[in-house]
Amino acid sequence: MANNAASPARLALPKGKMLARTAEFLKAAGLGFDAYNSGTRIYRMRSQAVPGLLAKMLNERDIPVQVAVGNYDFGICSSDWLQELQARYPASRVFKVADLGYDNAGIYLACSASSTISASDMAGGNAAWRIVTEYPALAEAAAYRMRLKRFRIFPCWGSAEAYPPENADFSVLRARDEEALSSLNLKPVSRLCQSNACIIASKDSLQAGDFSGLLRRFASAANIKDKPWRKPERPTAAINNDLSPSAPQGNIWLALADGHQQVHTAAFLEKAGITMLGYSKDAMRRRPSCGIDWLSIKVIRPQDMPQQVANGNFDLAITGRDWLLDHLCQFPSSPVTELADLGFGRVRVVAVVSEEVPADSIAAIRELITSSRMVPLRIATEYINIADKYLRDKHIARYRVIPTWGATEVYLPEDADMLIENTETGQTLARHRLKIIDTLFESTACLIGNKSSLAVKGKRVKIDKLVRIFREAAAKK
Amino acid sequence: MESQRCKGARDLLPDDMERFRQVEDAFRSSCLNWGYREIRTPTLEYIHLFTAAGTLTPAMLGRVYSFLDWDGWGGERVVLRPDGTIPAARLYSENLSGQKVARLYYITNVFAFEETGAENREKWQCGVELLGDCERTSDTEVIMLALETARAMGLPRVELKLSHAGILKALIGELKLDADAREALLDEILEGNWQAFTGVKSRNRAVLEAISTLMKLKGKSSGFLANLKALPSISKSVKKEIDAFAEVTALLDTMGTGYAIDFTSIRGFEYYTGLCFKITSGGARICSGGRYDNLIGLVGGRDIPACGFAFYIDAITAMVKPLSLQKAEKTVSVKSGQKSAASVKSAFQLAAALRAAGLIAEFDFSGGQLKARWSVDIQAKPAGFIIKDTHKKTQKKVNSASEVIDIIGGFGKLGK
Repeated sequence: MANNAASPARLALPKGKMLARTAEFLKAAGLGFDAYNSGTRIYRMRSQAVPGLLAKMLNERDIPVQVAVGNYDFGICSSDWLQELQARYPASRVFKVADLGYDNAGIYLACSASSTISASDMAGGNAAWRIVTEYPALAEAAAYRMRLKRFRIFPCWGSAEAYPPENADFSVLRARDEEALSSLNLKPVSRLCQSNACIIASKDSLQAGDFSGLLRRFASAANIKDKPWRKPERPTAAINNDLSPSAPQGNIWLALADGHQQVHTAAFLEKAGITMLGYSKDAMRRRPSCGIDWLSIKVIRPQDMPQQVANGNFDLAITGRDWLLDHLCQFPSSPVTELADLGFGRVRVVAVVSEEVPADSIAAIRELITSSRMVPLRIATEYINIADKYLRDKHIARYRVIPTWGATEVYLPEDADMLIENTETGQTLARHRLKIIDTLFESTACLIGNKSSLAVKGKRVKIDKLVRIFREAAAKK
Repeated sequence: MESQRCKGARDLLPDDMERFRQVEDAFRSSCLNWGYREIRTPTLEYIHLFTAAGTLTPAMLGRVYSFLDWDGWGGERVVLRPDGTIPAARLYSENLSGQKVARLYYITNVFAFEETGAENREKWQCGVELLGDCERTSDTEVIMLALETARAMGLPRVELKLSHAGILKALIGELKLDADAREALLDEILEGNWQAFTGVKSRNRAVLEAISTLMKLKGKSSGFLANLKALPSISKSVKKEIDAFAEVTALLDTMGTGYAIDFTSIRGFEYYTGLCFKITSGGARICSGGRYDNLIGLVGGRDIPACGFAFYIDAITAMVKPLSLQKAEKTVSVKSGQKSAASVKSAFQLAAALRAAGLIAEFDFSGGQLKARWSVDIQAKPAGFIIKDTHKKTQKKVNSASEVIDIIGGFGKLGK
């Protein structure tokens, strides 16, 4: 078919660890996305080489979902997320077009290197196995296949390796190979699947449009002899996951954040006079120590903390109020409560629409919905439970919450109508030509705790002491 | 208008409900006559009840509706009941295990995802469980009850097919496969893919041949089982299972109950341990059941022998003839041209008198087209009633409600 009959194409490109190699591949394919590089702040790009080709940068985990729902014709992502989607929704309208051969890894069901659990233990007995994972659908399918009698899956945002053996029996996680797994102090029970970078496509797009020109460019790049994107990958250093000596009964377990919040949390602890060992960027440990013998510490994702405190794995955690509220929207009778406002990490959680939307309040949005100009309202958000409650409370009649794993700004206006998003200064939102129509609440870091821990006398005294120290530190300028 | 109904969900309209109740009534009446008592289990159960080894296949578990409850921070998922037998087994082990023998029945909905949305994702079942009795007579009892019920439902060409999970499992065991290969094979077989046996790599060729023979042959009497038992490739453990199967077929032979033995007729038999059966009407599956002696132990109770069956109401309702025609005979449409208080009062009084006489009275003040055989028009001046028979296209004016009842009840006559 002639080139001028080609359909305009939408391409979803990954942020993060896959970016550099994906950029090399796109360059070889001659797609003309020069702005797609590690330093970019532009998430929306028009091809300089292929007329009508648009690309957006998304969190790679969101890419298969976005292609499956038809927002994009093609995507480049790691195949583990495609397999995760297909494990949950086998009828998804998405499929793999080609493997690109980089970002290779396996998805493993693993236990602590110190564990003595065998595969036959798992299928027999009446133990309720705890599995922590970023891949809940793959984990569930594996548990069914292995005929586990009883199991609980704790979906997490990341750091799944930190949980065994104290807080979980198994993790289902991504690792380059068994050696990498072993460096995390874990050993494989089984490898659930293999993963590598791949091109995926929407079945509906391929059935209806003509994308042959773009596919030929992909194919010619994939067939060149010297593939710079396939050069051996330099292993990234993992956070030390060594076990600490087993904590005495009655110790208080405190969860601290990794990722962006780590620096702020570390600074706050210093201000509180708590000297941390193994909680600095250059020498991170999953189990840092602090010189208080009755306090055991583990470093996990702040998003996962409320549920981990609720289920008794931790007595206390330092996380954002946004994540506490999201947890309480999902589980209103949860035993987790805020014990102290720590004052740092201040953000506003806001409802956001594109500047072009003729509405400046949620009431005006409701009017637009009533007049059927925005039905159903599509809300992209990381805070799915907060968003769900907010929209119910605001009597929005028809809406769809689209869960995302970050980079949410880029969804407006094509892939969503509204965001529930946090913002510090509002600058990022303004840069994306978005406007705030409502502020849901203000969030700061806080100390959260489990009410049942407070009811244990021996623990209460220690928790009260920590709460006092933290409150005093928060009051300091 | 765009439908607001969930994909895979179904509305049951008055005609559907009439057939539904007909099926349910026939089932309930048979069960009560045989000494079974009704139970009802909750719609929500913990998912671990169903993951307890060997109760539902991985493919079935992959289609359940499960979620975290509002207090589910501990990670324990709940599920919309995907099966009727397993909750009944739980109910028994928690509440009734003191009884030596329990005869229970239930009418329940079960939920399973179906991809296209063309089929119902919520289905209805009528089930029977006979718990605590390991005698072969109990297998025979549930089969006879199921057949009697199928006949009471008025279903055409009812046929019984038999298989035996014990024999199949013993044969698969003798293939001596490693755990992964055995599980993979079992998953395929449970989903009804009998071809999976052809791809099996086992050194035990004799067993593979025995399986292939079993798949090809269909038997019609206990003699067939005696022949199987005499085959050279049949081992001692399989012979034991064939004997157990033959005890039931011998009883059915004695009672003159026809059946076909077809090992490929049953699928999804993961929790069955012995005899399995399927009943078809006009070739369509309407009921399946069998023996599951391990199930009560697996859901946390003592090891109690058990057997049972379930009728698939959705499939059956499509086959039964509705009673609505009979019902229309007894339905009277009560109308009044005038809406004065006195006329409306007369209409209500007449309707009450008709109902007291065992008839169905339906108001038609707005002049709609009701599907009743009879209609009665309230006349104000002079006071009276005009009765119309829509079947015979006749009508008559009478003065009292008792005359109306006499005519419609078949004791009086309508003039032209």
